[in-house]
Amino acid sequence: MPPSLPFIRLVHRNLRKYRFKIGLSITIAILVLSLVSQYIAPYPREGLGYVPVGEESRRLLPPSPQYLFGTDTLGRDLFSRVIMASRSAIIQAFSVVFLSLIIGLIVGVLAAYFKGLVELVLNYLTELFMAIPSIVIALFFRLTLEAGFHVVIISLVTTWWAWYARITYVYAKGVVELDYVVLAKLSGLSPAKIIMRHVVGVIIQPILVQAISDLGSALLEASGINFMGLGLPPGYPDWGVILYEGISEMGIIAFTRAPWLVFYPGLFILLTTLGFTLLADPLREDLDPRLRRRWKLWF
Amino acid sequence: MPVSLNYIFKRVLLSILVVIGVIVFSYILLLYTPGDPAVKWAGNPRGPEARKAIEIARRELGLDQPIHVQIAQFIYHVFTGNLGLSIAYKVPVSQVITSGFTATLELLIFTYLLAVPLGLWLGIYSALRRGSRFDSFIQSLSVVLASTPTFWLGAIIALISYSTTGFLPYGRVSYKLATSTGFNPITGFYLLDALIQGNYAVFLDALLRIIPPALAISVYPIGVVARVSRTLVAEALLEDYVRSAVAWGVRRNTIIKHFVLKSIIPPVIQISGLAFVYSIVDAMVVESLVFGREGLGSILLDSLHKADFRVTIALAIYLTIFYISVNTIVDIIQASIDPRVKI
Repeated sequence: MPPSLPFIRLVHRNLRKYRFKIGLSITIAILVLSLVSQYIAPYPREGLGYVPVGEESRRLLPPSPQYLFGTDTLGRDLFSRVIMASRSAIIQAFSVVFLSLIIGLIVGVLAAYFKGLVELVLNYLTELFMAIPSIVIALFFRLTLEAGFHVVIISLVTTWWAWYARITYVYAKGVVELDYVVLAKLSGLSPAKIIMRHVVGVIIQPILVQAISDLGSALLEASGINFMGLGLPPGYPDWGVILYEGISEMGIIAFTRAPWLVFYPGLFILLTTLGFTLLADPLREDLDPRLRRRWKLWF
Repeated sequence: MPVSLNYIFKRVLLSILVVIGVIVFSYILLLYTPGDPAVKWAGNPRGPEARKAIEIARRELGLDQPIHVQIAQFIYHVFTGNLGLSIAYKVPVSQVITSGFTATLELLIFTYLLAVPLGLWLGIYSALRRGSRFDSFIQSLSVVLASTPTFWLGAIIALISYSTTGFLPYGRVSYKLATSTGFNPITGFYLLDALIQGNYAVFLDALLRIIPPALAISVYPIGVVARVSRTLVAEALLEDYVRSAVAWGVRRNTIIKHFVLKSIIPPVIQISGLAFVYSIVDAMVVESLVFGREGLGSILLDSLHKADFRVTIALAIYLTIFYISVNTIVDIIQASIDPRVKI
């Protein structure tokens, strides 16, 4: 059975859960928004960061029917910028989690399957990369490379894959000792097939669920890096960058004089992260028997 | 409960290996990312002095020597805290880093002294009343707060503070107040310094300025500790020893205090330690840009804008060493409380 099928069943089983539905609708809404935002944005060029003509008269206007979320310090329409930033959020969250997941899966399974030196070295590497804060990596890349997506994505992946390697290792360690894997080895099945079919196929579900819930954390961390001005260049439509521009140009006065500059991008980060979390939580409960346990207390 | 020396030795050895790995990794990044390493080390100098500065940097790094000698030298410099003068601040790099650490640690320790007990209380309380309105409220609140960007929350807190009281929490202490009362930082932990000197005006001012960022940062540890302790208490209540205790007629509060609480303390310590290292980055982001406090965050941004490569790389390395030390200490503490832990 291909490994994806049980996962689809798992999703199907949880479809009627209230939280799952909310999470799914938020996620789909943001995904759709990231695809169509450049067509529905009222000022698409300003959304991309171009400063409009006659910007002096348009600076820091409060929200109005013409500018739904107000305008920013350079007179750009904040609504266009915020909705067009959904694309960058989706790109960052998904590519960070996907790449980390692939690397972590490979490293974790190999460490658990081939014991001895391979296990030792891979576990050391995992420990090593887990210990480095991603902001530090971002710092290094920012010092030496141009600003852009690659800075955010590489710096997050550098530290994140280790977490997947760790959980994969722990799950796989429990599986590789089981009789059926030993029997598969004895029957002469190639290691690649055993690993794919009998190890990864068995442990993939909890790891995928973890990955879904990590989409939110990835977005939060990426926004933090962009907010520090370490990732994407100024002017790029990204929620972290928009917040950074609002706060770095005006200092703390930004909150008091133009609260909309700070409020809306943060709200979108919150909603998107919440969507991923609500999506993953019911699945996690479904998989983890400890969370499902019947509660019968002695008092 | 004696923890075996063997375990401590192994754990510390592993940490030292990881630290050395990180230093080597950052040195390799310095060497093999685009650009001349000596130019980077000298802070991209311009003008007539540039050539000389680059020569000095080249000698400091020992770039003419074989790579293993360079790396050994670099590791030695890191451990002796001797990474030269900061280009932006004109003081030794170690001094810049130390002042940043004390400022950020003050904020973090303050936050955790409040957050961990509160989280523990919330967790135990909601586990004992599982399914109640209080429990589900705390559950949903923690899901929402866990999805909130800390820096945004900090901004909202600052805005609320300003619009309700007219007080804008900015910086670590009011300089006018500090100079007029003759406040003189000794340890760098302003709250502690003010208390030692009996300078209550400064203490109050520093306290008012530390609470808003602490609130923003505390959301994460409170949520983590509450969630973990709730699960742990709930599981502990189902254990056989609790059933036996109930059967013997031990009082409910005694069971919770002496059996349940005791069994959940080690994992709570561990999860708090993990959360602590995560919060460092949170604190760096919040304190510098949102609340204008000096600290690791402002040093990071400064060193980046002024191309002060030494401070940046030193910050990265010492931050990582700090990370690993906290993790190691937490592991050892946990091993000494919890006899089940084996490496």
